[in-house]
Amino acid sequence: MSDFFSDGFFNNINLQDSSNWATDFVQDVIIPRLPEAVAGHFPMELGTVLVMLAFAGIFVAVVPLLPLVLVLAERKVAARFQNRTGPMRVGPWGTLQTLADGVKLIFKEDFIPPQGDKVLFLLAPYVIFACSFAVFAAIPFGDGIPIPGDFNIGIFYIMAISSVIVMGVIMAGWSSNSKWSLLGSLRSAAQIVSYEIPLGLSILTVVMLVESLSMSKIVDTQSGGIFTWLIFRSPFTFIAFFIFFISSIAEVNRTPFDLPEAESEIVAGFHTEYSGMRFALFFIAEYANMFAVSAIGVTLFLGGWQGVLPGFDFLGGFPGFVIKTLGLVFLMMWLRWTLPRLRVDQLMNLCWKYFIPISFFNILGTGIWGLIFKEDNVWSIGISCAIIYVGLISAYAIAGRNLARRPEPQPS
Amino acid sequence: MDRYIRNIYKGVYTVLVGMRITIRQFFEPNVTHQYPYEHDFEKKRNVREIPKGYRGQLYNRIEDCIGCKKCELICPVDCITITGDKLPKGEQLWDSMNVIHLKDGREIIGLIEGEDKKLNLDEEMTVTNITSRQGPQEVVDRLEQSGDESRTQTISGSEVSRVVTRNPVVFYLDQFDIDMSLCMYCGLCTEVCPTECLTMIDTLEGIEYSKFDRTDLIFNFDKQEMYGKDEAETEEAAD
Amino acid sequence: MESTQQTESKIIELKPFTDEMVVNMGPQHPSTHGVLRLELRLDGEIVREAIPHIGYLHRCFEKHSENLSYPQIIPFTDRMDYVAAMNQNWGFCLAVEKLLEMDETKDFAVPERAEYLRVLICELNRIASHLLSFGTYGMDIGAFTPFLYAFRDRERLLLLFEKICGARLTYNYIRIGGVSEIIPMEPGSIDEQNYLDEIESFLDYFEPKIDEYNDLLTSNSIFSERTMGVAVMPAEMAISYGATGPNLRGSGVDWDLRRDEPYSIYDRFDFDVPVAKDIPELGAVLGDCWSRYKVRMDEMKESVKIVRQILAEGLPDGPVMADLKAVRPPKGEIYYRSEAPRGELGFYIVSDGTPKPVRVKGRSPCFSALSALQELSRGLMVADIIAIIGSIDIVMGEVDR
Repeated sequence: MSDFFSDGFFNNINLQDSSNWATDFVQDVIIPRLPEAVAGHFPMELGTVLVMLAFAGIFVAVVPLLPLVLVLAERKVAARFQNRTGPMRVGPWGTLQTLADGVKLIFKEDFIPPQGDKVLFLLAPYVIFACSFAVFAAIPFGDGIPIPGDFNIGIFYIMAISSVIVMGVIMAGWSSNSKWSLLGSLRSAAQIVSYEIPLGLSILTVVMLVESLSMSKIVDTQSGGIFTWLIFRSPFTFIAFFIFFISSIAEVNRTPFDLPEAESEIVAGFHTEYSGMRFALFFIAEYANMFAVSAIGVTLFLGGWQGVLPGFDFLGGFPGFVIKTLGLVFLMMWLRWTLPRLRVDQLMNLCWKYFIPISFFNILGTGIWGLIFKEDNVWSIGISCAIIYVGLISAYAIAGRNLARRPEPQPS
Repeated sequence: MDRYIRNIYKGVYTVLVGMRITIRQFFEPNVTHQYPYEHDFEKKRNVREIPKGYRGQLYNRIEDCIGCKKCELICPVDCITITGDKLPKGEQLWDSMNVIHLKDGREIIGLIEGEDKKLNLDEEMTVTNITSRQGPQEVVDRLEQSGDESRTQTISGSEVSRVVTRNPVVFYLDQFDIDMSLCMYCGLCTEVCPTECLTMIDTLEGIEYSKFDRTDLIFNFDKQEMYGKDEAETEEAAD
Repeated sequence: MESTQQTESKIIELKPFTDEMVVNMGPQHPSTHGVLRLELRLDGEIVREAIPHIGYLHRCFEKHSENLSYPQIIPFTDRMDYVAAMNQNWGFCLAVEKLLEMDETKDFAVPERAEYLRVLICELNRIASHLLSFGTYGMDIGAFTPFLYAFRDRERLLLLFEKICGARLTYNYIRIGGVSEIIPMEPGSIDEQNYLDEIESFLDYFEPKIDEYNDLLTSNSIFSERTMGVAVMPAEMAISYGATGPNLRGSGVDWDLRRDEPYSIYDRFDFDVPVAKDIPELGAVLGDCWSRYKVRMDEMKESVKIVRQILAEGLPDGPVMADLKAVRPPKGEIYYRSEAPRGELGFYIVSDGTPKPVRVKGRSPCFSALSALQELSRGLMVADIIAIIGSIDIVMGEVDR
């Protein structure tokens, strides 16, 4: 253990990697285009910082469009699940509805509760907004697309940043001086803190197999087609994927884990008292979060931007990555419009009694798996896929037996 | 341990069953329609029409109203206001009239010739002094062509669904107001109306009549133009 | 010293004292089913006490009735339980008919055809009411989709009501001595046949849907976790609070006025009365939220059964209205009760021989069931309060009248 620290675990964190692409960009793109007189005296450091700021600006301008699309998609998908059409009035097929809503929210009164904590109240939406967008910095979107935050501890950074969101939620709930908000924020705090654990543990199974925390390295190891995707690498990552997915739904406060904003219980939870643009920030952050956790799930388990087959581009590259991510987002919506909501103690039960033990079991299993198969080869992947296949088939068989007699006996 | 695994299994299984049901609905057609844009209820699989007899806005065909005040009495919320005087004896506007409901939905208001107490629906009947007709446009047109001059129409008894006899008007109406903001759409007034002139509009106009001002919801059914100054004209209109 | 230490170590303060928080749930709240106000005294998420405050929808029905003639009161009964207005009409008309001493021996009995129409429409209305209850309960628990599925099916039923009485919600269809003739439907006519065919096609569509809803919500493990074993109302408690209808049967008391005190022509139909049972293998406890909810789901099937029997028999010929000149009951008083979707709906009417009643009192099933809330909710969580309100299926219009 002392070795661990004396080796300087924290010294090994290479945050400087992130500036490489910006330096490269300055050297390769900007300097050749400058007049020779200027090029020689071009301030590299300042240029690098400026390039990074410019990219950050583009990023901040473009990424909020994503929630705009996702909010509309959510409403349309929900409508389809319920035999409706969803918004239809603004723009063709209601496609500009979110834009109209956004404009409406901007012009609404920015209400601040007079008895509340004003500073925290004003700050909270920005904390949540900033944190949910900072996550995007470390996600590898595609081949050749620069990752602004390509640290060697990328996934660790994501975990750390997304944990800060709970601070914003507590700030919002506390400073609103509303009892419903307080209840919502306390629920949220308990929930997010609890679900970080199975989330982290299931990420750990991936990290154990890849032996790296770097997002780009995790993607690189999955380059050999669908069967080298980490979800099929071992039976334990298969289970870990589902735990990761469900925990991440809990992380982003969506049904069945939407207790912090449970409409039928505590009105709107921590953002009850917010209005106007501040409310819109919460909303955007929620959907950005949803996309972010799906993107992380795709990167960790579903091959990132790597395609289905090694040679082909099918489901690969940036479009493939987005398609896979939206697939997970759709799954989240599907779950949301199917399931009821858990109670707070059952939520904790699910986390502490089911997910965490299973996650530990997963880690144990992954360790043993790593001992048996020192390197990934055809055998290890074949055996893993066979185990997953047999498991699914037997589950299906049991389900078929249960289908014959309905699971719920009729009271006679 | 058995219970633990069973719980996991049950949770996953029931969630999947639910998801199967919702995804099936995902590919089902819509059940809603875009109301103000599709308000014509054009032929579409799931768009419905307003059924006949829907209880919409109250409408009084004032030229047939005899001012009996039955509707005002029965109204549970007092939304109908009628004021008027009794006419002096011998000055009533018309004698008894018959409202003849035909089986195709038309109504003819007139006087059945040679009417006695028992109406024989097997024979033809001649209606004279026809004052108003309702029904499909082509039917009204046909009636206009056939016998408007004489205001007489011969109808075979098999066409007739029922006949309502209307008492002679003895009441001079000053005011017939219906406050639709008070109305509770119970339809009791239309049931007691002896001449069936008070009806509820069962078309879109009877449903979509919202106003910006509450006072606009008080509908005046004015009989004043009917009681013209010219006595002869009045007779003409009333008959 | 040691012994005291031992005892002290045993007394772990499991429930440390925290400040109580008083929260007003309602009258504007998404899931208090209207304008119920609950004064919650909370210890964190735990509810120390939930005190219901009612009266936000009070419209003086009983006082109002004293100034109206009997037929005029019927539209006001629509406004009591607006989810099942047909049954409210019927409850009142039954009481007045009893007061008028209408029966077969008199010349103004309720005609056979009217009785059949009443049972037909009221059972359909019961389905509509339970559908709404199912949908809103799903929404209370957090599933929004069942709510819209329920409304999708309820819409078809409302269309049927609209066709026979001209209104979607406040029907004023059942009258003293028969049913309304506002939209005439000749016996044996093509209209009648079309109408019955439409009902048949609805039932064919709807019956498999009940199983689908059971799969979607009833047997869902999250839903059953939320409702099973929550707010158990034992049979004695249900009886002592005067809970009736599905709430009483959810506690295991086999009591249904349609079967045990048959009014109208219910004795001619063959139907079961669903009563909740302990189901240990599922985790359902007799008298919990799930049992009450499940009784409603099963009752829909029974209503379908009754309607199918009527459709098989066909409506009899004859008039739909008794030959009744004026409603002027003799001097006297009456209490008559019928089985509305939410339980025993009783009307107590005092007549002095004039066309207007001296006193009308409605015995609302929701009011009695709601009074049990305070005892049921003690020590549960905030989310459970919502589950209880949904499971006792209150309509504030009826509670406050």
